[in-house]
Amino acid sequence: MNSLASRVASIASAASSRTAIDDGERQVSYGEFMAEAQGVADMLRPHGLQRGDRVAIVLPNRIEAAVVCYGIWLAGGVAVPLNAQARTRDFVPWVEHCGARFMVHERAHRDAELTIAELSTAALSIALEDGQPICSPAHSSGGTWRDTDLTAQAKDLALILYTSGTTGAPKGVMLSHANLLANAESVVAYLGLGPNDSVLSVLPFYYAYGASVLHTHLICGARIHLAKDLIFPNLIVEAIAAHRVTGFSGVSSTFALLLDHVELDNYDLSSLRYLTQAGGPMTPTLTRRLRTALPCPQLFVMYGQTEATSRLTWLPPERLDEKLGSVGIPVNGVDLKIVREDGSTTATGETGDVWVSGANVMMGYWNNVEATRAALQDGWLRTGDMGHLDADGYLFLAGRRNDMIKTGGHRVHPNDIEEVIAELPGVIEAAVVGVDDEVMGQVIKAFVVVETPTERGGERIKAHCRARLPPYKIPKHIEFVATLPRTASGKVRRAQLPAKQAMA
Amino acid sequence: MNRRRQIKQFVLQNFLFSDNEGAIGDQDPLIRGGIVDSTGIHELVLFLEESYQILVSPEEMTPATFESIQSVDEFVTRKLVV
Repeated sequence: MNSLASRVASIASAASSRTAIDDGERQVSYGEFMAEAQGVADMLRPHGLQRGDRVAIVLPNRIEAAVVCYGIWLAGGVAVPLNAQARTRDFVPWVEHCGARFMVHERAHRDAELTIAELSTAALSIALEDGQPICSPAHSSGGTWRDTDLTAQAKDLALILYTSGTTGAPKGVMLSHANLLANAESVVAYLGLGPNDSVLSVLPFYYAYGASVLHTHLICGARIHLAKDLIFPNLIVEAIAAHRVTGFSGVSSTFALLLDHVELDNYDLSSLRYLTQAGGPMTPTLTRRLRTALPCPQLFVMYGQTEATSRLTWLPPERLDEKLGSVGIPVNGVDLKIVREDGSTTATGETGDVWVSGANVMMGYWNNVEATRAALQDGWLRTGDMGHLDADGYLFLAGRRNDMIKTGGHRVHPNDIEEVIAELPGVIEAAVVGVDDEVMGQVIKAFVVVETPTERGGERIKAHCRARLPPYKIPKHIEFVATLPRTASGKVRRAQLPAKQAMA
Repeated sequence: MNRRRQIKQFVLQNFLFSDNEGAIGDQDPLIRGGIVDSTGIHELVLFLEESYQILVSPEEMTPATFESIQSVDEFVTRKLVV
């Protein structure tokens, strides 16, 4: 059957020695990639992995993060890549919710190790060493893979991606093999990807966007160069120049960091053919700065959702200037409509809810019937985003219906932070919102009500968050207030809080 | 206060939100340890440039320079000697 794994296996058969992934120190060819994936499958099965069993992956971007995913698929399992920056308080509910019986992580990952110790049902720990493959060639069935293991059915569950934190019932987006392949093919079509392409990947594979960059390039036989993080933007640009990559994908803050901290003129970036941007809006000002600094590569502004595998729309680069601020038109295979609250379709230019359908739309949320019913109705996915279509059918987004914060490409639910702050003695309640930030898109601000104001109370809250949350969830700003604005029914009105901040 | 302690105080107050000097050792990893992130690194550089009247060039923005409080301090020492 046709799947991401079968497509990559075809490349491995036709061009075994072609480089698939290069992390700067190690390289893996397509042949080695599939052979190592087979090794993973052969390692998991004797430990009792059955078809449909979930395997949690807690890995930063390294070759094995991709190899393990494909190995799980060869064994008939379901890959559950978890945010490697998350903490034990996130991992435990995720792993218990999906019932993963295996957890692949780096040996020194303390939160992963603590998680395994805390689980109510035992999970087998598979710990990777720094800079080492997951299994030795001896495990790799003679250095090849078996076509007989490419038996996953299109409708079979392939991947679960958790999109929210731990408050309430976790939302694990269920994606089938068909979802993954359909969306990857749509992206390959508009980017025009082929075997001569190569991409520098800075986006984590445990997010839908990073996963999309990985799979779209692998099924084309392209080369993926891994970069660890954006802490040193100059090293990212050096890598683009040194490897002569043809593509680079980022979120808005990625490009803001590069433009703010690197003299791009000092580097030969003539190899770049395409840049892609998604994962939250990019301001027209930043888009213009990027176009001015890098006029040659085509810039693809895109929009999507984990619930739709990754990509929903793309803005053809030749219409970027004309349609500045738009996220473009639906990708191949996606239908999109804007609807009013009563479910009727809006007129051109009228803002409403964005609904989509297509082969990339998720199967639902794992073990969460209520959330699935709310999101999927009559074959349409209710994205939760608002927007309008112009006369040419180009989508312009106008915010979200819920309170989700987008900071530097991370999707953060305010509840996760509010809950942690409220654990501190002396705190009555807290409300968290995203406030605009030139570089990060949004940064986190907490409004906190305390019993008695204390000296350096804000730092105490940040320190408390630091011990319990990943760094990107620590509030940048803290403001103490006497009360929080509420609705008549007593619910906190987060939407009123940024306005309050503007007046302060 | 000597320079290494000043750098440590900056890291403690701005990234760990703590006064406890035992919260981080001079050789503990700043980046691998998740203490300094992509925005924090530029706050740290600004602090070094303003406090010690040095200019950190793009070529000096490497993981080795910012490995630990000790390596940052040694980097500033080298800059001040030049």
